Amino acid sequence: MKKVSEIMDRREFIRAGGLVGVGAAAAGAAILKDRGELASKDPTGEKTVRNLTAMKNLKTQPSEDDHIRMQRELAAAMSKPVEKRRWIMVIDLRKCVGCQACTIGCVAENKLPPGVVYRPVVQTEIGEFPNVRLNFLPRPCMHCENPSCVPVCPVKATWKRPDGVVVIDYDRCIGCRYCLNACPYGARTSDFGRYYTSNEAQGAPEGKERPIYGSPAPWEGLPSNEYGKSWNRKDHGSPVGNARKCHFCLHRLENGLLPMCVSTCIGRATYFGDSNDTESLVVEKVTRNNVQTLLPHWDNKPKCYYIV
Amino acid sequence: MKRNSRKINSENGKKVDRRNFLSSAALLGGCGLLAGTVAPVFSSLAHAQRMAELDSGEHKYLHNNPENTIYTTCLQCHTSCSLRCKVVDGVLVKIDGSPICPQTRVHNLPYAGDLAKAALVEGRICPKGQSGIETLYDPHRIIKVLKRKSGTPRGGGQWVTVDFNVAIDEIVEGGNLFGEGHVQGMKEVCVLRDRPASKEMADDVAKIKKKSMTVEEFKNKHSDQLNTLIDPDHPDLGPKNNQFVFLAGRIQHGRSDLMKWFTFDSLGSVNAFEHTTICEQSHHIAYKEVTNKWAEGKWSGGKDHMKPDFGATRFAIFFGTGFSDANFGPPLLSQLVAEGLGTGDLKIAVLDPRLSRSAGKAHWWIPIKPGSDGAFAQGMARWMIDNARINRRFLENANQAAANADRETAWSTASYMVKIEGGRPARYLRADEVGVGSKLEFVVSRDGKLLAIDPNDKDHAIKGDLEAKVEREGIIARTAFDLFRDRVSEKTIAQYAEMCGVSEDSIIEMARQFTSYGKQAAAEFYRGAVQHTDGYYNGQAIILLNVLIGNSGWKGGLAQGGGHWHELGGAPGNPYNFAKMHPAPLWDFGVKLNREGATYEESTLFAGYPAKRPWYPFTGNLYQEVIPSAKDGYPYPIKVLFLHMGTPVLSTPAGHKQIAILRDTKIVPLFIACDILVGETSMYADYIFPDTTYLERWGSPGGGSPAMLATLSKMRQPVVAPLPETIKVDGIEMPINMEAFLIALGKKLNLPGIGKDGLGPGKNFDHQDDWYLKTAANIAMGDKQGDSVPAADANEMDIFRKARRHLPKAVFDEERMKNAAGADYWPHVVYVLNRGGRFEDSDKMYKGDTQAHPYSGLFQIFVERVANGRNSMSGQHFDGLPALEGPRFANGQPVTKGGDYPFHLITFKEIFGTQSRTMPMNQWLTELCPENAVLLNRVDAEKLGLRNGDRVRLGSATNPDGSFDLGNGEIRHVEGAVKVLEGLRPGVVAVSWHFGHWASGSRDMTVDGSLVKGNPKRSRGFTPNPVMLEDTVARNVCLTDPIGGSASFNDTYVKITPI
Repeated sequence: MKKVSEIMDRREFIRAGGLVGVGAAAAGAAILKDRGELASKDPTGEKTVRNLTAMKNLKTQPSEDDHIRMQRELAAAMSKPVEKRRWIMVIDLRKCVGCQACTIGCVAENKLPPGVVYRPVVQTEIGEFPNVRLNFLPRPCMHCENPSCVPVCPVKATWKRPDGVVVIDYDRCIGCRYCLNACPYGARTSDFGRYYTSNEAQGAPEGKERPIYGSPAPWEGLPSNEYGKSWNRKDHGSPVGNARKCHFCLHRLENGLLPMCVSTCIGRATYFGDSNDTESLVVEKVTRNNVQTLLPHWDNKPKCYYIV
Repeated sequence: MKRNSRKINSENGKKVDRRNFLSSAALLGGCGLLAGTVAPVFSSLAHAQRMAELDSGEHKYLHNNPENTIYTTCLQCHTSCSLRCKVVDGVLVKIDGSPICPQTRVHNLPYAGDLAKAALVEGRICPKGQSGIETLYDPHRIIKVLKRKSGTPRGGGQWVTVDFNVAIDEIVEGGNLFGEGHVQGMKEVCVLRDRPASKEMADDVAKIKKKSMTVEEFKNKHSDQLNTLIDPDHPDLGPKNNQFVFLAGRIQHGRSDLMKWFTFDSLGSVNAFEHTTICEQSHHIAYKEVTNKWAEGKWSGGKDHMKPDFGATRFAIFFGTGFSDANFGPPLLSQLVAEGLGTGDLKIAVLDPRLSRSAGKAHWWIPIKPGSDGAFAQGMARWMIDNARINRRFLENANQAAANADRETAWSTASYMVKIEGGRPARYLRADEVGVGSKLEFVVSRDGKLLAIDPNDKDHAIKGDLEAKVEREGIIARTAFDLFRDRVSEKTIAQYAEMCGVSEDSIIEMARQFTSYGKQAAAEFYRGAVQHTDGYYNGQAIILLNVLIGNSGWKGGLAQGGGHWHELGGAPGNPYNFAKMHPAPLWDFGVKLNREGATYEESTLFAGYPAKRPWYPFTGNLYQEVIPSAKDGYPYPIKVLFLHMGTPVLSTPAGHKQIAILRDTKIVPLFIACDILVGETSMYADYIFPDTTYLERWGSPGGGSPAMLATLSKMRQPVVAPLPETIKVDGIEMPINMEAFLIALGKKLNLPGIGKDGLGPGKNFDHQDDWYLKTAANIAMGDKQGDSVPAADANEMDIFRKARRHLPKAVFDEERMKNAAGADYWPHVVYVLNRGGRFEDSDKMYKGDTQAHPYSGLFQIFVERVANGRNSMSGQHFDGLPALEGPRFANGQPVTKGGDYPFHLITFKEIFGTQSRTMPMNQWLTELCPENAVLLNRVDAEKLGLRNGDRVRLGSATNPDGSFDLGNGEIRHVEGAVKVLEGLRPGVVAVSWHFGHWASGSRDMTVDGSLVKGNPKRSRGFTPNPVMLEDTVARNVCLTDPIGGSASFNDTYVKITPI
């Protein structure tokens, strides 16, 4: 079996004008290498190995859910040093029902404030009555091989990790929003420090005998778990003022959990895994279906694939 | 970026102070959020430690810890998905689907699995379910009892807080409560207390209905009780107790069972209602009538809900519904359908004037004219019969034995003889009429010979001919199938196509597809097809498509679902049989306020046709008719209205007509509401009791959608400390909610079934736990002896306690719970609560090519019960076969189409919203869709010269200027922005629900003299309900299906006026 990176690369070659080039396979190996200089020295090697054993003995039904398989494969990938993993996402557009559970699941998981969204679902109507169809396109960060957002950052607050995840260091980000403009997918939004519930029920009596619950809602005051840290927004703390985007729920991967959008998808349209594992479900999905990437002519080489 | 020195902007400056509070260990005492009668949101010390740890940077992810997990059941919609709630420091931080329940993860983790492992896995849940956190912590939630300020009118927005027990006293005792004169208290309403007398009178009223006793005889016999009756000259109206009305919006098993226990049995009122007719009641009534069983000379006990087995069907046709919009409901249906779409094994067709999400994914979108679903189904049936693409072998099976011999579990009345009387199919021919058997048997013909048929005969297989007739002295009869074939042959396919506004080919293609997959094809319908005045008939026609191919019970066919264990007991294994536990139930009797389930002709009010208001013999939970009936005092006036978690004014077509009624203290002398917010209807109440959300309370919502083939018993339980005030009733602590209200009211009134020995000897009913833990015990112990779940071991007990360490005693007291459940059952109950219910594993859903829990029973092709009924306004008989009527007023007069009102108005729900709850209050969801729009096809928009964003107003024949009066000086309008699209049938205008609130946190109000500001964002968009046609015959109510009771949401024609 060919390495999936080679096959994917070939698909990525699909351009506006022409199709599948002959030299594509040869280009594959080069694509695996990171282009951008690391802004921050990510830990590599043994200390990045995670021993997630819990899934090993999990009993399941005879017809096992795809997610169990993906979680097992996730645990296997985490048992390798970070530089040996290569996370990709595969979205089966045939199965996406446009429910936006992923969008809201992500908002809830990452405690995103108003105006910040990591994974919208773009809905388009195609055709003329009565020959019309709706297309739904979930759009997370593509975690590009060649991310446009990375080189424009003046303070090197964003970079691509060895496992392919494009991350942001909120403590370093100055909120200039160059990266928002640079991303051809519009995957980044800015955190303006707003809250959902801060202005509600103004004037309600407070204190022990209060009749109305009042604001803010307690969940809005809790820190977010992004990047396996605790980000406390109080006092305008990070990530207020920062660029924000999907990070494949790295904090969940560390705990053996799939990204929230994958977990909660009611149509089971989203798959996630390690493309370096040639036996994995994501590799199966990519190699056995007609997959496309968005805006291939930009040559960003996204790591989010769409089954069409 | 760190900008600690910078002050936060003024938008939330004050609030940030509170946030600072939260993170500082110093404040554990005094802050309003943390202390006082409201149970602490955070368990104090642990929280302080965590905050310190968090502030230091690296931290542990606690969401996948079983000790931070409580499994419960959603209620953002009726589907009730199983949830896995993640709680950190007492705060609900994330809601996911449960991995253990097949509804939220079809290939579920084994029920008997390890909780620690399950905590690493998540099920799926829709956006509404995820945003339950916002519902729970809505800043506008009321947490103390509000009372209308004395001297201010209803709807004036002036409230004072009142102590819970004081409020209960006032409601019981009555008095000059609002400075407007005497208000009768509950003690003056609940006057019939004599149980034997209630039984005797109930029995005698039944005799009056059957004309075997006269009113005079009744009055003589019960002369000492006549003062307890509403009207001694009409004893069949029942006791004054009936003047208490319990009207529930969103209520489910658990609470609805308690509602009935309290209202029917303890209080002796017949008036407890759910909201089903504004959902899809005609769909349920159609299923129920078609599947009613024949027993002891009566048709009853039918299945009110069936669905295709989407997990295995090859072709599904959706009439007016889908799998990823609303229905029952997306997390289950979408996972099943999407799987089929991914593999290519499933083809789907959606009939809907609007390109819904589901239609957008379908292989065929058929944009039929609104309400023509029945015509389309009849067209399909005609083609199927004409082209011999029906399952005759199935249809010929006349009893259970014949069915079983064919490996079928269902059979039909297709071959039964139906008697023609007065030129119409009137009833099934009885065997005694042709001398072949008894009057409890029916008749089929086989090879020219008439045979008596008992539908339930398991031993003697009998098949009947589908085409046969009886013509003899005084009797003309034909088979039900013959009559059905004649009915569908009244029109040609071309005529049906014309009625539906589609091509003949589309009907033929659908019929061909439907009959190309054997038994792995099925027809599904829900709200869109039935919220019409002829909704019942539409439903019947669609159900019969399934019957024609005999798909019931087969893998991929029609399913009744896996059902549930008996949470109310009654099966041999259940420890508590609620049906027999009530210590002294009153015999509630009399006509219900909305005259549901009652026959006009049997009533002493019968005075020829039309009746003063319509009667509804075949339906129940007829929501829209309750308050308008009170206005007319027909059949009697009311004294006390208790509205629970509902907003009929907002969510009912023409519901605005109820505002003036509710504001009138002469019509509704005492109006009590119980809900989490001050809503569009409860704003007119005299008292509002805060309620617990579904995340703070108990419930036993039972099984899943019928598309769920495994057996499920879901439990709802408190996940976090309730926000409403903790109060004491007889010294026992509890949060204020519906249960606390009923317990306190029942105790104050000394009602049986509440308080001491309320749930049987030695079983007090003092706290909500006393009720719900017994339902959990029934589920845990199972229906059969030896069918219990395992007992929780020490490890599971430990997880159970630790996961609830943040809950106050008012909702979590292990001793109290153990007592309530019964000590012997307690470890089993804990096992169930640790999993949020009891679930059969999904590998048990099928047995070979059949469903493991198939529907077993008959389908009536001709519905005798309905054919015997009459429209109370016209006196005309209803039809036993599916009819094509189109929109009609209560007296059967057709609604005029077109003219000044050229557009057909339809409504729908987005997947991220429900009718009156969730949006726009839940702002995650509103970010997806800030407000609704007037959806128009491009062609129509061009004709009207309208573009995206142009604002327009809708008007109809009964509300030409599209306005309505809140009664407090504010006039609102049915107007919104235009959105132009292709995916809508020209001539149709579509408006989604969810929006157009004028309360629910959007409106300023004054509480104890403080002005509480509403958030105008919460009133964005508009509701189309006020332009929906008022039934000008019945008055003050919308058009209504006289059989199924469904409120007509989809029969209104409107004009569109730019503004």
